[in-house]
Amino acid sequence: MQAFHIQYRNTQGTLMRILTAVSRRALDIVYVHAQASPDDKTYKVTLLLEVNAKQVGQLRRDWYAIMDVSDVRVAPAESVAELGSAWPGATAHPPSHVTDQTARAARA
Amino acid sequence: MPSATQTEVTQMRGAEIVLQCLRAEGVDLVFGYPGGAIMPLYDALEGSGVRHILTRHEQGAVFAAEGYARATGKTGVAMATSGPGATNLVTGIADAKMDSVPLVCITGQVRSALIGTDAFQETDVFGMTLSLTKWSRLVKTIEEIPAVIAEAFYWARTGRPGPVMVDIPTDLMKAKMEFSGPVKFTARPRLVDDTADPSFTKSLIALLETSKKPVALVGAGAKLSGAINELRALLDYLKIPAFATVHGLGAVEPEADYYLGMVGMHGTRAANMALHETDLLLVFGARLDDRVTGDPSRFAPEARIVHFEIDPGQLDRVRSCDLPVIGDLADTIPMLHDALRKIALPNWSAWSAVACGPDRAELDPRGLAQPTIRFLDELFSRLPKDSIVLADVGQHQMWAAQRYHSNSPRGFITSGGLGAMGFALPAAIGVQMAKPETTVVCVSGDGGFQMNIQELATVHRLSLPIKMVIVDNKFLGMVRQWQQLFYQRNYAETDLSDNPDFVEIAKAYKIHAWHLEEAAMRQFPVSQETGDLLERFLHSSKPELLVFDCQREANVFPMVPAGAALSEMVFEEE
Repeated sequence: MQAFHIQYRNTQGTLMRILTAVSRRALDIVYVHAQASPDDKTYKVTLLLEVNAKQVGQLRRDWYAIMDVSDVRVAPAESVAELGSAWPGATAHPPSHVTDQTARAARA
Repeated sequence: MPSATQTEVTQMRGAEIVLQCLRAEGVDLVFGYPGGAIMPLYDALEGSGVRHILTRHEQGAVFAAEGYARATGKTGVAMATSGPGATNLVTGIADAKMDSVPLVCITGQVRSALIGTDAFQETDVFGMTLSLTKWSRLVKTIEEIPAVIAEAFYWARTGRPGPVMVDIPTDLMKAKMEFSGPVKFTARPRLVDDTADPSFTKSLIALLETSKKPVALVGAGAKLSGAINELRALLDYLKIPAFATVHGLGAVEPEADYYLGMVGMHGTRAANMALHETDLLLVFGARLDDRVTGDPSRFAPEARIVHFEIDPGQLDRVRSCDLPVIGDLADTIPMLHDALRKIALPNWSAWSAVACGPDRAELDPRGLAQPTIRFLDELFSRLPKDSIVLADVGQHQMWAAQRYHSNSPRGFITSGGLGAMGFALPAAIGVQMAKPETTVVCVSGDGGFQMNIQELATVHRLSLPIKMVIVDNKFLGMVRQWQQLFYQRNYAETDLSDNPDFVEIAKAYKIHAWHLEEAAMRQFPVSQETGDLLERFLHSSKPELLVFDCQREANVFPMVPAGAALSEMVFEEE
């Protein structure tokens, strides 16, 4: 299972677009938690999903394409109990970038 | 942040503001159908500078807006009222999403106080189109209208084009405010960086230098980027086998000796075989969907894949790539070409000779489909050079895609990704409105033509000289073909033998029409009489309908059965 932490501006429909990116893949949402920051400027939603590595990449790219999504982080998670309300120490996934792939292609 | 572009302030209704903002975006033509909630917008049309084309169904309006956009590259605009009017736009919105068509849909909504009460003709069109639109907005105040319209057009056009939706409550269209003029939208910095990074050329050159069988696949992105000349120059330089998806047709010069035609489920033998055998696949603006790949696990099994794409979301969907190149082809192709000029490329002439050789040439049309294919060949051979051919969805679509060799990337228009029957006739209206001097041919099947047949009224009213063709086999032909090949000829619910007389229907709409029997195509070359008929049909200054009465059980070949590899093409009934 993977925990996805998505930070976004709470504009019209943004949260629904984030969730729709999951549902349109026939994925079940094991857990979802959305909250506003104290300054009410940024919101984040945490999703727990049973996905494979390819789906992680697909979802990440779909979320990055949503106009008001500002950050996406992914970390393995075994259960809902592992999820806290603060941002975990998960590493940020940058958008698909040629540099990540260049080394792999050159080594192949 | 929005900034005012005019200083004069005028008291205006919300509806007038919408139309002023449309004009500021370069819109002078919209397609639509009125109704209660959107009535204020229609009330403001006169004198607005925006011409409205009334279709006879909202689906006709949105397909017409798409046709306009597909033919020009401009943003198409469709408008409809709330409730059923809005829901009737949904198929067109989905079609625009799948085929990357810049489209702005404006819907009326019930008055603000009634939203959420299941009011008369109220639907949550904002909610129901979330997964189909790039961006959408339910307008809450009259003050936000200028910014919303500006932002809508921005997202429709930017990056990978697509549909957006603006839902406006009727009371806001009637309300007034001091309007200082349309505004410009400036996007916030995006998380996704789709700016091309030239460092990809080093990796790509490394792949080219070790490749023995490279090929190039061209998709819709090539025409959307406007980089056709750059692409053709690159392909001329590489001289590797090249082929196109159905939306990439016309992007590669059809007469190029390295061009192998359409690839995929009904692609050419040469294209499918080359794609199956390649060790390096360069994908230019195609999304590698299942109609192209066949069984993904056996797609290009020996190949490294380099995927040129502006939309990162299209990467690694059906088949993973080895080297993604994110960016606009207008930037990435010149980067690549410049880098290639500095090195010596391997000699691929032996591979090209095999891939493009006579042994893999298409077989002459044969069997039951031969007369229909000959008819299309005769028709297309008589078209002026810059003609636009539209195809609906089905067997005729595939035959038209196989046989019409346009040299223009916008010369062949069809509903590819969604495969929406009923697309072609209303889309042809939009195309002809966009290109009044161009010969526009609309090829439909008897099933699809009936789905938006009411748009004959629009054609007549506007006297659009569209040349409409119905390939009438009295079946839902493509479904029947699958039933024949995979369901033991169980033709469940595909029989249309009780079709009406389309010629009589056209005459009722005051459109000239006639039948052409298949027998006329059994004589080759065709008779003088048939040739004259086709010439009159194509060169008439009025709308015309030609019903080609053809063999009922002809099939489209080659065919890659669902779940099969591209190398497992079927060439004739087995």
